[in-house]
Amino acid sequence: MSNNFTEERKKAWQGFKLDNWAETIDTRNFIQKNYQPYTGTDSFLEEPTENTTFLWNKVNDMIQDEVRNKTVTVDLSRFSGIDKFDAGYIDKDKELIVGLQTDEPMKRMMNPYGGFRMVKGSLKAYNLEIDPKMEEHFTEFRKTHNDGVFDAYTDEMRTVRSVGLLTGLPDAYGRGRIIGDYRRVALYGIDYLIQERIKDKKNLTGDATEEIIRKREEFSEQIRALQAMKSMAAKYGFDIGRPAYNAQEAIQWLYFGYLAAIKENNGAAMSIGKNTTFLDIYIQRDLDSGTLTEKKAQELIDQFVIKLRLVRHLRTPEYDELFAGDPTWVTESIGGMGEDGRTLVTKTAFRFLHTLTNLDTSPEPNMTVLWSNDLPRGFKDYCAKMSIRTDSIQYENDDLLRPIYGDDCAIACCVSAMQVGKQMQFFGARANLGKALLYALNGGIDEIKRDKHGNLIKVIDGIEKNTEEILTYDKVMVDFKKVMDKLAKIYVNTMNTIHYMHDKYAYEAGQLALHDPQVHIFMAFGIAGISIVADSLSAIKYAAVRPIRDENGITVDFEIEGDFPKFGNDDDRVDNIAQDVSQYFMDALKKTPAYRNAEHTLSLLTITSNVTYGKKTGATPDGRKKGEPFAPGANPMHGRDESGALASLNSVAKLKYQGCCQDGISNTFSIIPSSLGKNSQERVNNLVNILDGYFKQDAFHINVNVLERALLIDAMNHPEKYPNLTIRVSGYAVRFNQLDREQQEDVLARTFHEAL
Amino acid sequence: MNKQEQQITGQLHSIESMGLVDGPGIRTIFFLQGCPLRCLYCHNPDTQNFDGGRIVTPSEILKSANRYKPYQGEDGGITFSGGEPLLQGEFLAESVRLLKENDFNICIDTSGYGQKKYYSQIFPYVDTILLDIKAFSEQAYLDMCSVQQKPLIDFMNELENYGFHGQIWVRHVMVPGYTDNTKSMQQLIQTIEPIQHLVERLEILPYHTMGKEKYKELNMPYLLENVDPMDKEKAKEFEVYANVLLAEQMSKDRIDLIEKQEVESSALESNVTLEEYNKIIGCFSNLPLLQHIDPDILNDIQHNLIIKKLEKEEILFHSGDDPNYMYIIYSGAIKIFNVLPNMKEQIFYIYRKDSFVGGHNLLSDSKYWYTGEALLDSIVIAIPSKIFNTYFSNKKPVLKEILSQSFARIRWAEDLINRLATINSSVKTAGLILRLAENFGINKNGQIQILMEFDRTEMSNFSGLTRDSLTRKLGEFEELGYIHIENEMLTILNLDALESYLD
Repeated sequence: MSNNFTEERKKAWQGFKLDNWAETIDTRNFIQKNYQPYTGTDSFLEEPTENTTFLWNKVNDMIQDEVRNKTVTVDLSRFSGIDKFDAGYIDKDKELIVGLQTDEPMKRMMNPYGGFRMVKGSLKAYNLEIDPKMEEHFTEFRKTHNDGVFDAYTDEMRTVRSVGLLTGLPDAYGRGRIIGDYRRVALYGIDYLIQERIKDKKNLTGDATEEIIRKREEFSEQIRALQAMKSMAAKYGFDIGRPAYNAQEAIQWLYFGYLAAIKENNGAAMSIGKNTTFLDIYIQRDLDSGTLTEKKAQELIDQFVIKLRLVRHLRTPEYDELFAGDPTWVTESIGGMGEDGRTLVTKTAFRFLHTLTNLDTSPEPNMTVLWSNDLPRGFKDYCAKMSIRTDSIQYENDDLLRPIYGDDCAIACCVSAMQVGKQMQFFGARANLGKALLYALNGGIDEIKRDKHGNLIKVIDGIEKNTEEILTYDKVMVDFKKVMDKLAKIYVNTMNTIHYMHDKYAYEAGQLALHDPQVHIFMAFGIAGISIVADSLSAIKYAAVRPIRDENGITVDFEIEGDFPKFGNDDDRVDNIAQDVSQYFMDALKKTPAYRNAEHTLSLLTITSNVTYGKKTGATPDGRKKGEPFAPGANPMHGRDESGALASLNSVAKLKYQGCCQDGISNTFSIIPSSLGKNSQERVNNLVNILDGYFKQDAFHINVNVLERALLIDAMNHPEKYPNLTIRVSGYAVRFNQLDREQQEDVLARTFHEAL
Repeated sequence: MNKQEQQITGQLHSIESMGLVDGPGIRTIFFLQGCPLRCLYCHNPDTQNFDGGRIVTPSEILKSANRYKPYQGEDGGITFSGGEPLLQGEFLAESVRLLKENDFNICIDTSGYGQKKYYSQIFPYVDTILLDIKAFSEQAYLDMCSVQQKPLIDFMNELENYGFHGQIWVRHVMVPGYTDNTKSMQQLIQTIEPIQHLVERLEILPYHTMGKEKYKELNMPYLLENVDPMDKEKAKEFEVYANVLLAEQMSKDRIDLIEKQEVESSALESNVTLEEYNKIIGCFSNLPLLQHIDPDILNDIQHNLIIKKLEKEEILFHSGDDPNYMYIIYSGAIKIFNVLPNMKEQIFYIYRKDSFVGGHNLLSDSKYWYTGEALLDSIVIAIPSKIFNTYFSNKKPVLKEILSQSFARIRWAEDLINRLATINSSVKTAGLILRLAENFGINKNGQIQILMEFDRTEMSNFSGLTRDSLTRKLGEFEELGYIHIENEMLTILNLDALESYLD
């Protein structure tokens, strides 16, 4: 290695405790050897600097303009890529952390690699037009992921997609859900990463099998992407070839790594990982040496977060319907415990959450606290306080994550865990099991959709139409399982097709360059409508359910006589049904092998698509009418929990994470402030105890909203009064004003826990 | 489960798994069916009828309660409400016994209208009684509830006669035109006089009309049809007023809680760099205690002093150690504490910069009967006994200084005992705030501010409360407008109100 290289390292790593990480790429080892846990309170936190406030006000005005006018700016002159744009600034002299996706803030990129129609559709929605020459050239010379997928889709796959049995599949845009280890850029510098990848490629010996050829090509792509990152940073005047020398550079380098990812890809969720403990080491070193003050440290974090709030992708209106509020899921995982029992909470965990105070509330970055029973009390209190104040935090159970993923894992998107730089996932949206249950009653025929000629559409073969006057549980279960078996097979095969083509036509070279050469892959499937299914089967089992059928023998409604246990009341009779169905579907999925030997996982998560799923699904045996929304994620159906919030939490807590829904179980909890406690101190205490109690029972995830229903109604009618009102929905936070009326009403209709 | 227990059953109206305002912390509420009162404002008329409800056994109650235990933290638990829970005396007695055996914190939400013969089987297991005082004269009570006031008065006397050990939250629903006046508040405080030493919280609940719909469903007339909901702000003002009245009326008991603790002693050595040592020695003569020592002497002894850096939670000396040094706190904070028989840590003092400890022990050659531990990262200067005895113990001004500080500490200790002796959390919390203010408070624009750099667990050990109780209480004081807490800075807004708790 060159002299220069040694000198740079010496300077960059001065004062750090050297260990395995200094010999090979091992970010976790660096963190473990060098970080300082913090067990105190938030009393040290500083206010924003003038520059920060100036920058944020400027950005906030731009965001508000966009929301209010429902317009976007797009760079129509070029396509996306790591190094395709000139440097851009908000206000250069005032920025401590620089870098934008394009050459101007809020200007979006055209990313055609997932699918060209998506770009066209998006532009059309905003009355914009691409230069016809560019379109002509691109479509003539370049095939997209979307083209590839549709070349290889079977009729069956097209059908399950068009009736809405599978929805939200990433077959026309980037799949996302990959987290590069952006910290590596700061710790090692790009030059070393390139050098290592060249070595990895050389080590790929053996016959040129399809697998080896693909790996060699991918490594070459990755090396080029790293070079592009370096060149992109150089446009801003930085040499990220070498490691970062101080805290400001560490944040800047890390951000450049992330910026490359969001310039290259437009995945639904472009999460950033778990960075606060890592960054704290640099900040603490500078504080100790007197080159940084607390005020300045906060300024760095504030300005970093401003950049993360600027992430934008070009989307179609249909996409917005599924994922409302223009989310980007810049998920940052904060806190948790280390495998050695020390907490991973540092002062920078506080500083990061403190941006919600310094820069007002905001849905992004998606603040995700990894909650453990053993977290320091000062941090628990602070999180609860910030949740109550901002409704911007989600919580995931660190005590469940650690045994499976270790202590250097992060959440991608809402609830998907992976080891940073070592694991990734193939995102797979979700199957509508509410609809699947109706197929079990209707002989595999869709209850709503008709073909062009008005004929019934048979989606699943080999299912007998149920003709019972009163439905019997055993018969329905036999058919439902048949439907789930067949659906699972189609689902896996569809996903295999999508991800094969994604690798081929829209490969995430930049992000995977910041991974180990061998990456463990999860294939993440999902269920929508679990509470509908559980309640429906419970009604069939414990009450008398009489289907009302149309002239074709298709169910259009149900009459229910008698009472039945409902999911959300901590009643094993129905809660076990929800668990059993999830486990059955998971086991069924595993029977079909996944592309690239990926490991099958399953989530109970809907994002905001619970409204869309509901629209596309007929009346269900639990009494839900045709078109009514599902409950989001694994939430019980609204208004059906009769024993209060903890009973509802207990029901959700019974759904098994490890080995069943290991891609996450999402639950959203909304409560009005006066019901959470008599005063602010009590509210903090009570919320901490609720979170402790819920997670102690092996529950996985919770979104917390503490707000008045009346406030939301007022915000619906007077959006201008609440420009930044943020609420948590399934797995992410959203500006309330960016939801459409229907989605806003859905949020309002959901159970707000309140006491008289 | 024995056969007899099987036979005891109760009538349960419903369960609320997350009650956050009916008793301390997070509570699971069992609403029992049936109530003889017909309060005009009752918002649970569906629980009045004695027929109906689900038949349950105490062990079913326990089973259900166990499902919510993980959420209950230090303070939460089970609340029996209703209806009138005391009217299912046998069932309630068996249920609370069973729950207490399983370590639940128990609350009863009652109007005091119960079956006297079961009280002695219920009281021992109850931590908090939410006592609903509906009205303050026989006639007013009859008008509001359609029953006599006497059972309530009897109930309060029974609590006193029995020697009830728990605490009481007094609650009163304020209906406009009925009790929204200062005279009523005075009557309220008089009414609860027999039990006032047990009162931990006094709440004025503003009347609301959310129960109205239920009357329609039940086809019952709603008798407050023309009465508006009580203004929340006004109710809050009356609540503050009533609390001040109550505080003024309260008295306190005394108990002694201190026990010795024996631990091995350890040798002391300087652990600072030479540079730090010299820097500290340089400022040494500025310490108030040393103003009285001849500079030449100071010069001679300075290299015999030990300067010890302590990390947070490091022990300086143990209870039972021989006094070998006098310690002067140079920076940080040292807490002086003992572990009580119930294994709870009790802090006696917190010493800050320039305070000294151990001088008195050297003079009397008595062992420490408490432990000294760094509460924050600290530096102490230790003066060996030999030097102390040679140069300090014969200097009148030094002795005077030690003596006057001893007096201050005795006053402090007396006050601490007073505070600990009462079970009343309001008194304990008010006392804690005032002592902190006295020692660490800074005067800013005429207001006293205290930076709460000690965490809540330390503060609760100091005050003799659980962490959750202290937090709750601070929140309540904030609501009452006595204090304001922001970014761990506590500002006293109403000093008189806090002082009124301590006479």
